[in-house]
Amino acid sequence: MQPGSPVSWKQKLAGRVPEAMAREIDIFETQIDLRKKGKIEEKLFAETRLRCGVYGQRYDNGQRHDGDKQQPLVFPSGDTTKGPNTMWDAPGMMRIKIPFGRVTTEQLDVLAELAEEYSDRILHVTTRQDFQLHFVHIEDTPDLMRRLAAAGITTREACGNSVRNVTACPLAGVCNEETFDVTPYANALTWFLLGHDDTQDFGRKFKVAFSGCKDNPCGLTNFHDLGAIARVRDDNGQPRRGFEFYVGGGLGSVPQSAQLFDEFLPEEELLPMAQAISRVFARLGEKQNRAKARIKFLVKKLGMPELKRLVLAERALLRPDPRWTAFLADLRATDEKPLHQAGALPAGPYPPGFETWRKTNVLPQRQSGYVIAMLTLPLGDLTSDQARGLSDIARKYSGDTLRTTADQNMLLRWVSEADLPAVYAALKAIRLDQAGAGTITDITACPGTDTCKLGISSSRALAAELQRSLVASGIHEHPNAKGLHIKASGCFNSCAQHHVADLGFLGVSRNVNGRRVPHFQLVVGGQWTNNAGSYGLAIGAVPSKRVPEAVRRLTEAFAKDRVGDETFASYVNRVGKKSIRAMVEELQVLPSYQDDPSNYSDWGDPREYTIEDMGVGECAGEVVPFVEMGLAASEREVFEAQMLLDEGKIEDAARRAYSAMLAAAKALAREKSPNLGNEPDEIVRDFRTHLYDTQLFFDPFAGPKFAIDFFRVHDDGARADSKETAHQIIEQAQLFVDAAHQCYTRHGAALGGPTAMAAPESK
Amino acid sequence: MDAFKLQVKLYLDGGKHPGLSEFIPVFHGFIKHKKLGELLIDVANYAHVPEGPGVALIGHAHDYFLDESEARPGLLASRKRDPLPSSERLRDIFRRAINTAILLEKDPVLAGKIHFRTDEFLFRINDRLGAPNTDATFATVRPAIDSLAARLFGAAAVNIVRVGTGRELFSVRITGAASADLATLLKRLGGGADL
Repeated sequence: MQPGSPVSWKQKLAGRVPEAMAREIDIFETQIDLRKKGKIEEKLFAETRLRCGVYGQRYDNGQRHDGDKQQPLVFPSGDTTKGPNTMWDAPGMMRIKIPFGRVTTEQLDVLAELAEEYSDRILHVTTRQDFQLHFVHIEDTPDLMRRLAAAGITTREACGNSVRNVTACPLAGVCNEETFDVTPYANALTWFLLGHDDTQDFGRKFKVAFSGCKDNPCGLTNFHDLGAIARVRDDNGQPRRGFEFYVGGGLGSVPQSAQLFDEFLPEEELLPMAQAISRVFARLGEKQNRAKARIKFLVKKLGMPELKRLVLAERALLRPDPRWTAFLADLRATDEKPLHQAGALPAGPYPPGFETWRKTNVLPQRQSGYVIAMLTLPLGDLTSDQARGLSDIARKYSGDTLRTTADQNMLLRWVSEADLPAVYAALKAIRLDQAGAGTITDITACPGTDTCKLGISSSRALAAELQRSLVASGIHEHPNAKGLHIKASGCFNSCAQHHVADLGFLGVSRNVNGRRVPHFQLVVGGQWTNNAGSYGLAIGAVPSKRVPEAVRRLTEAFAKDRVGDETFASYVNRVGKKSIRAMVEELQVLPSYQDDPSNYSDWGDPREYTIEDMGVGECAGEVVPFVEMGLAASEREVFEAQMLLDEGKIEDAARRAYSAMLAAAKALAREKSPNLGNEPDEIVRDFRTHLYDTQLFFDPFAGPKFAIDFFRVHDDGARADSKETAHQIIEQAQLFVDAAHQCYTRHGAALGGPTAMAAPESK
Repeated sequence: MDAFKLQVKLYLDGGKHPGLSEFIPVFHGFIKHKKLGELLIDVANYAHVPEGPGVALIGHAHDYFLDESEARPGLLASRKRDPLPSSERLRDIFRRAINTAILLEKDPVLAGKIHFRTDEFLFRINDRLGAPNTDATFATVRPAIDSLAARLFGAAAVNIVRVGTGRELFSVRITGAASADLATLLKRLGGGADL
């Protein structure tokens, strides 16, 4: 420490952090201190830190499996926790909100410093255009927040039951096809809802997205709680701005398309209507059952007409707020100014690699002579050094801002085409010159088992392996296949948005030959365009190590058989899911552990996925096969349900999905009720008694959710009056079956007695 | 010197290693078998990031990286929590880095495939508040670095140069005219028995 230098970041940044933010951070720092002294209840502290963007991370319960056995992680702070089952000293994740993905060069420099000083030198771009830092200690977070705040960034409400980062099309303002630039609207709504009294009492998170047009995927409004698509209407000869306004979309375990709330919401109504919706959601949304607490469930429960009536009534009661329209006085305030004059691409020769990169990573702007340079970030990661280098490039060539994208990349906008070769050379110098943005090798992956507590399989390592194998096979250059989108989530929560990929994957696990094996459900039929217009369905679980081969088969078949400009979803519909499934079916059968143990660990992790040797006693030969047979039958029935849905047999599809649930429930319940018959009421009764009331079936994170879905489908008689309802029942059936597999893995012993398989979690 | 978040990087001879994926099971083994005598938590794989942190062994007080930054692969040891007394900090981080390098060289998976240079070290302070990358910081820490370098290299000539820009972490490159093997260097710093 040099004489006279500040002793703390708080002191050094005094006067540079906005007062309100400084106060919030001080309060959080005090709460940290109080929690350490045991003066704040842990659940309350957990929600407090989540609302500050301070998230948990894998192994933060103080346990880690080393491949042979569970070992305690003995942290110096002992039993002190920062939330239920969350050890104080355990490294965590810091989520940093970047509204609509716009980040300034100064902010990027600060982010680079923070990644170095508090994390592992990696900045991770998320599918919500945020940045995340991993392995951060909670006691470092107040200073980290101060440094961000001094650069105009808040982490407030980045996590928890709050309005999450407001996202928007990263091309907003420079796009050739947008109706108008949504940036000022996204900006206004971000700051209006942040910390607003009416957004503090949600039962669950609330996600908002803006899109400049309806057809392209950049805004992905269809799966947001609130989605706004730019519209202009003729109003007595005058163009009037507004939004096609949607409510109630979402992915996760029960994906649902947003429903139209208003065909044209005038721009001056954007903020008040969002406020009114927030108030209705806070008042009527589910608070007890987290699994049913998103607004999509309220939309479903009330129906859009009733929700709209309630929202309009609420709107009429709102006290006018000048912020509703103040921003409209200067919609150019968020405009970006180019640094250099527009120009034409100079004649070659160009640097090696330039032409290839330009084909996939450069888009023309609406403004003639300017282009957008897309930076392909592998798995959404860039280093501190790269971040600093990138901000230098932006300062030199494009201006003060960059954007993050929902597919985990970044954009330099306002690059004069005349500068493009120099920009490429500069990117190459910092190793950000990877071509293939938006192509099959540009794979989106959530953190998965790398760092996420909910991760079941390693989505990041799978994505890295797929990237490698796709390039090695050369299929990434095939004109029919190179535009495919692949997205891999580590669990059903769909953080990588697998439902809207051409080839989506979600992590699950299966018992194979008496051992636990990482798998990925293969999801096909999703639509990325039209703002994520439709969702795919899982057609079967493939062992993790076999997924690259499955992808090879599917992409090569598509490359060979594609008709015209057919999308992958259309191709799947044309050839049928049965054919698609047949291509991968054989891969689902694994050799024994003794013959090839490599399948029994996940990509990028040498530890055996099965975390404990499973004892198989004399009776296991009877007990285990029945359960497994029942579960296998239930999986088959889910797939059959999809076939029926594809054939337009909506009611049959729903009934078959329900039958799959019954089969899975019976497979488990029969272990406690050996005489259990086939009567649905009887199966539900015994399942409730032995698996629900005992909580054996409860998912460690989703709790009773999947069982409740099963009960509801049963109570409703698997009634489906629309394709969407049937689609949802099939999705619920798939998740119920997956949960049954998990339950069996966790509680084999409890289900089948001492001779059945015992999974380590039950210890 | 009040700053305690110190880092030391040892470079791989010729930048050669058998591939980052080879280090993943080794680091997992370090956790499982408690090889470093401290709380180790996880392994993070950043092999997909060019010139990045490579493969990271995440601990409570220290992280260890098979680091590929500067386009020069090496082992980076980084103190991040639980400060030692000021007088112990510099020696401690060098001992930890060298000790870990020895374990890597000896590991059955890597034995014969990697070799760390002992004539060059990068020393950094991961704390822009306490130790900005300035001449003033250099002047403050120079005596401690000189003293440590003398223990490492004995009477041989040593070159100590501050490197990097003001935006980067305080960084010093230490180069010795002669080198010894890792075990000798560790011994010169007091051995690794208590690590």
